[in-house]
Amino acid sequence: MGPLFGNGIVTENTNFLIAFLIGIGFGFVLEMSGFSSSRKLAGVFYGYDTVVLKVFFTAAITGMIGLLFLSLFDWIDLDLVYINPTYLRSTIAGGIIMGAGFIMGGFCPGTSFCAASIGKIDAMFFIGGLFLGILIFAEGYPLWEGFFKADYQGIPTLSEKLGIKDGLVVFGVILVALGMFWVGEWAEKKFPREEY
Amino acid sequence: MGRKEIPKRRILNYINYKKMKPRHYVAIVFLTLGLVMAAIPQNTTHPYKLSPEALLEQVNSGMQYFSPEQIADMIISKDPSLLLIDVRAQNEYEEFHLPGAINIPLSDLLSEDWREYLDQDVRQNVFYSNSTVKANEAWMITMQLGYKNNYVLQGGLNYWVESIMNPEAPPTTSPNEEIAKYNFRKGAGMQLGGGAAVSSESQPITSPSLPPITPKPKKKRVQGGC
Amino acid sequence: MNAKKQKSSKTWYINPYLGGVLLGLVLIAANFVAGRGLGASGAAKSAIVATVETVAPAHAEKAPFYKEYAASHPDGAMKSWLVFQMLGVIVGAFISGAIFGRLKFKVEHSPKITSRRRILFAIAGGVLFGFGSQLGRGCTSGSALSGMAVLSFGGFLSMAFIFGTAFALAYFLRKNWI
Repeated sequence: MGPLFGNGIVTENTNFLIAFLIGIGFGFVLEMSGFSSSRKLAGVFYGYDTVVLKVFFTAAITGMIGLLFLSLFDWIDLDLVYINPTYLRSTIAGGIIMGAGFIMGGFCPGTSFCAASIGKIDAMFFIGGLFLGILIFAEGYPLWEGFFKADYQGIPTLSEKLGIKDGLVVFGVILVALGMFWVGEWAEKKFPREEY
Repeated sequence: MGRKEIPKRRILNYINYKKMKPRHYVAIVFLTLGLVMAAIPQNTTHPYKLSPEALLEQVNSGMQYFSPEQIADMIISKDPSLLLIDVRAQNEYEEFHLPGAINIPLSDLLSEDWREYLDQDVRQNVFYSNSTVKANEAWMITMQLGYKNNYVLQGGLNYWVESIMNPEAPPTTSPNEEIAKYNFRKGAGMQLGGGAAVSSESQPITSPSLPPITPKPKKKRVQGGC
Repeated sequence: MNAKKQKSSKTWYINPYLGGVLLGLVLIAANFVAGRGLGASGAAKSAIVATVETVAPAHAEKAPFYKEYAASHPDGAMKSWLVFQMLGVIVGAFISGAIFGRLKFKVEHSPKITSRRRILFAIAGGVLFGFGSQLGRGCTSGSALSGMAVLSFGGFLSMAFIFGTAFALAYFLRKNWI
């Protein structure tokens, strides 16, 4: 049955409308969980607030479990769902640059929009920087186009790379995540900071 | 004399609800679901389109066959719903092929280029080869893929040449219908070139009376961005 | 009785695990309906491309980046799933802020640094993140979160490198936060 758009059950315009609604849900949940505050976001790197860790991994695991269960009952065709492609060099380089941006700015693009919409001025400047960074990339594109497109590996999944079934990968991720949750709770007790 | 109550030993007694934090609940739920996930087999979303029993039934019924007479009739009457598919190699096709046939060598059967010919519901595709071996192989593969409207020429080209191109005259004492069949075959054979090689430039039969084949939308991954 | 005023209690946010589950449900819904996960940087990219196309159309036609984008978006740069999603995000966050009383203009920074320093670092972080998200084909929401939900190797990879680098650099930037 799903994905509804991929199987032609909903038109493109309905898809856009639902995108808007899903976005509302996304923004609502992010803001409710505290992702509109750069101090909470950066907290995971210093131990005093591990909300990022908890929300992120819980969401990823819920998503994994949900999608696999749906596909088990044939409610979604995972062949039609978008899997982001792996370009080894640019993913790694991009990840490093983004990590630096994260710890400096304290936001990621999604959360910066949330924060900006509730009035955080530093988030608005972050968004400005975001646009600038994209513009720089776009203008200098020929310089790094080769690097950008190097090492295309298709769309491997982690289960394919490790050679184990999807279900086992999910279980492994759950174990790792639970371990991190416990470490997170310990860290919050050990490194408390006041809220500003 | 007060009797001390021995608390019943239940698992729930060991769980002190006041001390349970959300992450404990989360952990329990995730671990349970995770164990279930780890146990399910991979690839349960790609069942065969046709169960082995159903396929055997189809094979036994012989319903995939078109006789040479039927095909000859359709060619002569320019039936637009017919598409002959030659599954032999390209050089064999170029040497001789039936009128209006296209060439999909068996080795290329699964390539994307041919999918819209094979997976559609407007025409009747009839596979043929020299005997019926390759044609049946093509048929079985497309059956397993769930494609409809694919058939096989009974007896292949060998039988075709024998029966249509050079029909054997039955003895005059045969029943009427044998003689009628022979006459039909002879007539068809003459119409179709009677044994001589057919020009190798024929194109697939197109006819304005058929609705255009809208290829079944190829199941494509949805495009995503960042 | 001491009239000592208690510092107001910490801002209330929902339990992070609950938030995570809800976010996961939103993610599942997105995949179920649209066949793709959530995202953020793509919308910013669309906005930039649309702006450049309006402001300097001749340049946009020649430069390879914009050409590639236009080729994959024949209906116009802004008509993309992510743009509509981000509009929803802005609305949704606003609604949540309004409900929970968190709407307020402020520059959120550690008292040990000035506002100005925070803003400068925010801009710098934004530039890096903008560049990096284009290079990495996704940000934390689009690549890491949605990628992990479909078990994409690229998703796990970008997740590892984003957080790994941030942890590695955290010590050097600790003055900004703690």
